[in-house]
Amino acid sequence: MAPTTHTELPEELASFIKDWRDRPGNLIMILHRVQQHYGYLPELVADEVCRRTSIAASQLYGVATFYNYFNLSPPGKHRVAVCMGTACYLKGAGALTEELRNHLNVEVNGVTQDKQFSLQEVRCVGCCGLAPVVMVDDEVHGKLGPEGVQALLDKCQEND
Amino acid sequence: MINLRIDGIPVEVAPGATVLDAALAAGVDVPRLCAHEDLSPSGGCRMCMVEVDGTSGLQPSCTLEARDGMDVATETDPIVAHRKITLDGFVSDHPLDCVTCEKAGACELQKYCYRYDISGTTMGFDLQRTMVQDDNPAFLRDHKYCILCGRCVRVCEEIVGAKAIQFADRGSSTYVATTFDRPLEESTCVFCGSCVEVCPTAALLPKSSIGKGREWELGRQRSVCSYCGVGCRLEYRTRTVTGLNGPRTEIVRAEGFPEAPVNGSFLCSKGRYGWDYAAHPNRLTKPLIRKDLAYEMGLTDEPWDVPDQSPLKAKPAVAREGFVETDWETALSVVADRLARAAETYGPGAVAGLASARCSNEDNYVFQKMMRGAVGTNNVDHCARLCHASTVAGLARAFGSGAMTNSIREIRHADCIFITGSNTSEAHPVIGYEVMRAVRDGASLIVVDPRRIPITEHATLHLQAKSGTDIWIFMAMMRVIRDENLADEEFITQRTEGFPAFAAGLDDITVEEAARQSGVSEDKIRTAARIYAGGIRQEGESRYPEVREAGRGRSTILYAMGITQRSNGTELVLTLANLSMLCGQIGKPSTGVNPLRGQGNVQGACDLGALPNVYPGYQKVDDPAIRSRIADLWSVPADDLDERPGLTVVEMMHSVLDDTVKAMIFMGENPMISDPNGAHVEEALRHVGFLAVADIFLTETAQLAHVVLPATSAMEKVGTFTNTERRVQLGSSVIEPPGEARPDWQFIGEIGRRVAERLGRTSLRWEWDDAAAVMEEIAAVAPIYGGVRHSRAAGDGVNWPCPDLDHPGTPILHVGEFKRGKGAFHAVTPKAPAELPDEEYPFVLSTGRMLYHYHTGTMSRRSEVLDWKQKRGYVEVNTADAEKLGVTDGEPLVIESRRGKIRTAARVGTVVPPGMVFVPFHFREAAANLLTQDENLDPTAKIPELKMCAVRVTNPAVQSA
Amino acid sequence: MAFTSYCLVCGGIGCEASSADTIYQRICDGVDAAGILDDVQVVKTGCFGFCEQGPIVKVLPDESFYVQVSPDDAESIVTEHLVKGRAVDRLQYREKGSEATPSKAISFYQKQVRIVLRNCGFIDPEDIEEYIARSGYVGLEKALFAMTPDDIISELKASGLRGRGGGGFSTAKKWLFSKQASAHQKYIVCNADEGDPGAYMDRSVLEGDPYSILEAMVIAGYTVGADKGFVYVRAEYPLAIRRLQHAIGQAVDRGLLGENILGSGFSFSVEIRLGAGAFVCGEETALLMSVEGKRGMPVQRPPYPAVKGLWGKPTVINNVETLANIPVILTKGGKWFSKIGSETSRGTKVFALTGKINNSGLIEVPMGITLRDIIFNIGGGIPNGKAFKAVQTGGPSGGMITAEHLDTPIDYETLTELGSMMGSGGMIVMDEDDSMVDVAKFYLGFTVDESCGKCVPCRIGGRKIWKLLDTFAAGNGTLEDLEQIERIGAWMKTSSLCGLGKTAPNPALSSIQHFRSEYLTEETV
Ligand SMILES: Nc1nc2c(c(=O)[nH]1)N[C@H]1C(S)=C(S)[C@@H](COP(=O)(O)OP(=O)(O)OC[C@H]3O[C@@H](n4cnc5c(=O)[nH]c(N)nc54)[C@H](O)[C@@H]3O)O[C@H]1N2
Ligand SMILES: Nc1nc2c(c(=O)[nH]1)N[C@H]1C(S)=C(S)[C@@H](COP(=O)(O)OP(=O)(O)OC[C@H]3O[C@@H](n4cnc5c(=O)[nH]c(N)nc54)[C@H](O)[C@@H]3O)O[C@H]1N2
Ligand SMILES: Cc1cc2nc3c(=O)[nH]c(=O)nc-3n(C[C@H](O)[C@H](O)[C@H](O)COP(=O)(O)O)c2cc1C
Ligand code: SF4
Ligand code: SF4
Ligand code: SF4
Ligand code: SF4
Ligand code: SF4
Ligand code: FES
Ligand code: FES
Ligand SMILES: [Mo]
Repeated sequence: MAPTTHTELPEELASFIKDWRDRPGNLIMILHRVQQHYGYLPELVADEVCRRTSIAASQLYGVATFYNYFNLSPPGKHRVAVCMGTACYLKGAGALTEELRNHLNVEVNGVTQDKQFSLQEVRCVGCCGLAPVVMVDDEVHGKLGPEGVQALLDKCQEND
Repeated sequence: MINLRIDGIPVEVAPGATVLDAALAAGVDVPRLCAHEDLSPSGGCRMCMVEVDGTSGLQPSCTLEARDGMDVATETDPIVAHRKITLDGFVSDHPLDCVTCEKAGACELQKYCYRYDISGTTMGFDLQRTMVQDDNPAFLRDHKYCILCGRCVRVCEEIVGAKAIQFADRGSSTYVATTFDRPLEESTCVFCGSCVEVCPTAALLPKSSIGKGREWELGRQRSVCSYCGVGCRLEYRTRTVTGLNGPRTEIVRAEGFPEAPVNGSFLCSKGRYGWDYAAHPNRLTKPLIRKDLAYEMGLTDEPWDVPDQSPLKAKPAVAREGFVETDWETALSVVADRLARAAETYGPGAVAGLASARCSNEDNYVFQKMMRGAVGTNNVDHCARLCHASTVAGLARAFGSGAMTNSIREIRHADCIFITGSNTSEAHPVIGYEVMRAVRDGASLIVVDPRRIPITEHATLHLQAKSGTDIWIFMAMMRVIRDENLADEEFITQRTEGFPAFAAGLDDITVEEAARQSGVSEDKIRTAARIYAGGIRQEGESRYPEVREAGRGRSTILYAMGITQRSNGTELVLTLANLSMLCGQIGKPSTGVNPLRGQGNVQGACDLGALPNVYPGYQKVDDPAIRSRIADLWSVPADDLDERPGLTVVEMMHSVLDDTVKAMIFMGENPMISDPNGAHVEEALRHVGFLAVADIFLTETAQLAHVVLPATSAMEKVGTFTNTERRVQLGSSVIEPPGEARPDWQFIGEIGRRVAERLGRTSLRWEWDDAAAVMEEIAAVAPIYGGVRHSRAAGDGVNWPCPDLDHPGTPILHVGEFKRGKGAFHAVTPKAPAELPDEEYPFVLSTGRMLYHYHTGTMSRRSEVLDWKQKRGYVEVNTADAEKLGVTDGEPLVIESRRGKIRTAARVGTVVPPGMVFVPFHFREAAANLLTQDENLDPTAKIPELKMCAVRVTNPAVQSA
Repeated sequence: MAFTSYCLVCGGIGCEASSADTIYQRICDGVDAAGILDDVQVVKTGCFGFCEQGPIVKVLPDESFYVQVSPDDAESIVTEHLVKGRAVDRLQYREKGSEATPSKAISFYQKQVRIVLRNCGFIDPEDIEEYIARSGYVGLEKALFAMTPDDIISELKASGLRGRGGGGFSTAKKWLFSKQASAHQKYIVCNADEGDPGAYMDRSVLEGDPYSILEAMVIAGYTVGADKGFVYVRAEYPLAIRRLQHAIGQAVDRGLLGENILGSGFSFSVEIRLGAGAFVCGEETALLMSVEGKRGMPVQRPPYPAVKGLWGKPTVINNVETLANIPVILTKGGKWFSKIGSETSRGTKVFALTGKINNSGLIEVPMGITLRDIIFNIGGGIPNGKAFKAVQTGGPSGGMITAEHLDTPIDYETLTELGSMMGSGGMIVMDEDDSMVDVAKFYLGFTVDESCGKCVPCRIGGRKIWKLLDTFAAGNGTLEDLEQIERIGAWMKTSSLCGLGKTAPNPALSSIQHFRSEYLTEETV
């Protein structure tokens, strides 16, 4: 049985869900859209998605936890992702992660206390030629050494 | 067929079978931890890997399709080495706590570790899952024992259809989770325990048996579930405890078992967890006499008056104070005396009795024999009147027999399932599983029901017809079928009669009008017609090769109270019969018109003549030839047997108030809560000169009785129960009866003997050594049970008609020929419900069931798990109406009809459409039957219209403000 | 209208990440300001492949190859080159300190043969006309109007094309199985999940030449009798997704996709489905689960997807690169294709050459080329004068190949014989500084993270090997531990459910085989 309580959804999301409601295999596409909107998958919104579609809540949860891309808790304002693909790894991505952890004082997959940054490791962003690579939000920063980390973070906050 | 060899053993299997299936067929026990015979293969545990000659390496036998000429080896050195290291891996992430583990002895992991000599890991012990979830009284989830075989996830989705659990996370962090790890209660779990049943390890454990003994110490007793008409067989696991009164048997849990003919390993929450009522401290242990009568008899010196307060409101402990305990002799004498006296004074017709669909065939046989033979009246009826009376009337007219035309296991192979007026997943859950299997296999499912009941989630089409308008849909479907030439002309000409008159009647029906009446789109009606008529699947190919040639798949109709509890119930049943005959969807496997009978033994109670118009075996009381045959068998003069049909349930209550019925005896019925217009029932029961009630608890009805007789429950007696598919199955005595409780047939027989003696009918026989002996007599009296014996009812049971000992039984009726010869079409015109909403009472009230409770709640509300799951009553109300009424979920509402009013909690949602409310009738504190109507009975079947009446719904908070 | 010169700005992800877009904008603005809009066409293309030197700008017809361009250089490119026709010398690529090297002469491109990447770096991936202008949709036209499905399969068979997603299964056979399966509904799925960490071949095709994939899918649909296709793209490739979506729109508008394609009566539609960060979803059965909106847990084969795939229906699933070959094969003929490459492996292979290598980037080479050619000629050798140690092909599923095998001509079979595999095309070069134990541990860490958890050997075995490697990395491993890795590795290889688990121990096993001394010190032996 679908949950009975309602959660208001933004118009754009609601119409996306309506569009996809009867399309087979819709779940992952809908989750992408929810995450695009909220930055993560809020529990109540997930329930609402199930209510509006015929997706079983357990399936949603199973899927949301299976795929690395989906977050179940709010990310930081800026998403800092260190590429841990092979090329970057060989070129010292490990040290970069280390440096970022120290700078931000946060573990991988964590969010800084001030909610400004979340730190992640990702697998190959497809810029291996620029290894090692760090992505900040949608921007790729290549050939980055540990010494460049501070400047990178500063720049990020300047732009705010 | 496919022929192959397993370890050299030749074996033949059906196409599509796996190598594992073939191995098991060859008697080779290939190790397996994720495979399960009822579930789709997973291939995750890798234990079942085998070698196939001509291919390199190992392959999992559970996913590999068997092919002609395969030569398979299942236990070579490389395979053994592989299994050893696989188990080594398993136990590196699993504590081998076998010494104290609850599962030891029944654990499949332990079994294979023993077989392959694995007592620990070489890989380093490193436990990945440590969570223990103890959030419900049914079962414990201890993740450290979980080997991620996925059986639980699959059974929950594939068989139960609940989808409560799923794998979460991945890799070595994978675990089985509810959504957002919420407590199981907040998930869609229906507490069927199927996951526990299939779990190979101790990861899922029934709480009731924890600490109560090791696997090998527990006893086993197979029996039949004492609740609904599906008639699941189960195995009670027991232990012996020694108390003050010496040793006694205690049930510690219930299990399904693969060979169970209907249900296999699976049960619903009631079968799985609802057995503990039998050991409830409130059980009746001694005969009781009401204090006023006791005073009259000198058994007490305190005068006493029946209190004015309704038993619906009384506390059980207080209720007891109105009675004194007595011995059986006294109790039986007084009952016999009162019944006989009424018969003597006012004639046999002044006595009326209700038999019971909760009691065994033997109990019911003896009861009606007592009423007919000893008292001399046909005033015997039972709750079937409120239930499938219209089925019995309708199907008898159309086909000649009023039972399910096909068997339950055929449902899984149907191409189309048409469900109407049956909340299958709540009222017949295990039949719901059967429907799930078919749907998973690609069958289409059409549901016609005003409510969005759980099964609609799996439906191809849900035609949410407004309450009482379904008949328009059925008729319009037939119009479409006729107009589009989808009818089975050949079947109609060869097997039926009355078609022209019926067909002409369809001219007055249009799809447009049906859509207008029902609120269902024309399109849906047309599509439903085409799918049903053609047996069109959603996916895949029919199981039946003939279907491919005929071009018509197999469609089966399942229906229940939504059709029968109607003022035109008989006509509705005839309509469904028309529909099936029109399309030739009857008389073949996986087709038919299948009334899902409700009570565990309602089929049997009807079969054995607990009806006012027939002797056992549906032999008409008003047929002189039959009467004299029965008289011979009973050795009474034929004139002693009443020649007129007796009173029906509702008529009995009316007759009490007309002063034509003076004394009553009820065995296992609780009309105070189950009969319509409760206030009227209470008035009658307070009014009647004498009332005896045999029950296992001091029910609301028993509280008004003069004498209360303590019966053994199904758990404490041997007897047969006939399930909805006419399968007669033997129930066994599992535990000792509490106190002095006795089997119904014994003490009813005693009453019969005494009454008969008083009335001079001394030739009647009442002595049976045991229930098996009663069955011997039944076999002689009821030809359809001619070949039924306890020996045959044990095990898989036998489906009647079964005329003699050599007859194998009849799972499908009307093959080749209808019971009545030709199937009869009946012209029917749509009729509206009797009491329609109006300005004063603007809502339609429907009443019925919910999954966890059973009828008047005497048993299910005394079961720990069931009671925990649903403590109180409620009223389903649509979100839009709730908004208008200003209530939110859980807040109280007052429901009022022309007959009474109740107050209960709102359950806000979209199960009911706007303008409709639904109240389950299980809860005495909000008794639905205070609202329902006992007028406007179906003219043929005399069934009350329990599925609709007009009510007013108000919010008490708003009123008082 | 003919332009006199073309200015191609690399819009590949590497260059894009280093301000290629700003460079492109500024050049456009400059051209506009200079009033030479009618003479010069500025195009932002897909990846040139030579990512090491990005951002790259190429000017045609004179083949000037500007590397490491910054936004500020845009002005001189416009004023000097595009207006005055004088190449900007300081930006030109110089091979080994020599003169400015025109693109044709650059050794990075010398040994390459571009079939899959034929359009990458040449066309505007957002303009279907440019694709059509370079013989786009000739193959489809031929297929629809001049060939029967059986003809197409014969042509593919003649070409010898094998799947580029890693398995190397004959594409002709796969299509034939699916064609032979009887069903009302069939599907074509393009596997664009590209999960190998350190590989981005498919991304470049999707971003640089999305039309070729769509064209190939229609051909596949026509051949096997499918009318619906899905492209499963990793969500980490937003640009690829955008370009693909755009391409689908244009193709539909041009009648090259959708109802009644080119008036042939054949209809075929394509939808995009996104991955969500799970390497295992590159595995075909897991991918199909994912398209169905489920957890990407593989399903035991057989049955193969060609017979029982998406929603139980026959489904052809092909890799991006495989598909990109198809239109060319139909245009130029299977025979032509079969002449390229080695005996068992025809055609070319795209590799993402990365790691400790001078010219990292995307290359397309004929099958049968030697590793030495790739690493030392195309790749320009190892930087900083370090010695070559090993190269890993096949990503986390592959193995390490050492110097002694550098001269092996590479194809599906030879790589497998060397204990590695072709994989999807990642090629990671390691130098003397790299610890093979660490690299093995890195890969195992990856597969342990990415294991779906369904089957025991992979779920448990992988983690055990990883833990043992950790022991070795800390210098505490024993001979017994080493043997345990081998034992568990053998178990995983023989009995895991899907390719992920079957191949996951490879990096550990091959590094033990080739670099045993890095595992066992003198004391531990
Ligand atoms: N858990 C549980 N199971 C039981 C029982 C129980 O008490 N509890 N009782 C047993 C007994 S004795 C019986 S008879 C069966 C009854 O089993 P069911 O008949 O399945 O149960 P009900 O809840 O009475 O309602 C049947 C359905 O009729 C629908 N309905 C209401 N109005 C209409 C209408 O106008 N047209 C149509 N077509 N449908 C309508 C309701 O929405 C509901 O889904 O269950 C048996 N099983
Ligand atoms: N409003 C409304 N009313 C309805 C219905 C509805 O849908 N709506 N449905 C109707 C239907 S279909 C039915 S079948 C009836 C059911 O109505 P009832 O048969 O009155 O209901 P039960 O609660 O099953 O009552 C059976 C009684 O038998 C007792 N009992 C159990 N086992 C034994 C035993 O072994 N021996 C004896 N002697 N007693 C035993 C139980 O404690 C219980 O008191 O309700 C009907 N009433
Ligand atoms: C773990 C694993 C990951 C894979 N990842 C990819 C991938 O990213 N892209 C791909 O095309 N094929 C991948 N494959 C191969 C696919 O399963 C499949 O063989 C391929 O898509 C078929 O297409 P082809 O015949 O065109 O190569 C992977 C296989 C495995 C076992
Ligand atoms: S679950 Fe089985 S193997 Fe595990 S401790 Fe219990 S009995 Fe032993
Ligand atoms: S008890 Fe039944 S519904 Fe609940 S999780 Fe287990 S199988 Fe699913
Ligand atoms: S809980 Fe039991 S049935 Fe479920 S996955 Fe774990 S071991 Fe298997
Ligand atoms: S379906 Fe009926 S018979 Fe079966 S377990 Fe449930 S209540 Fe008992
Ligand atoms: S081998 Fe690994 S990824 Fe593949 S099914 Fe098994 S656990 Fe999943
Ligand atoms: S490995 Fe980091 S971008 Fe590919
Ligand atoms: S039983 Fe076949 S893999 Fe588990
Ligand atoms: Mo019933």
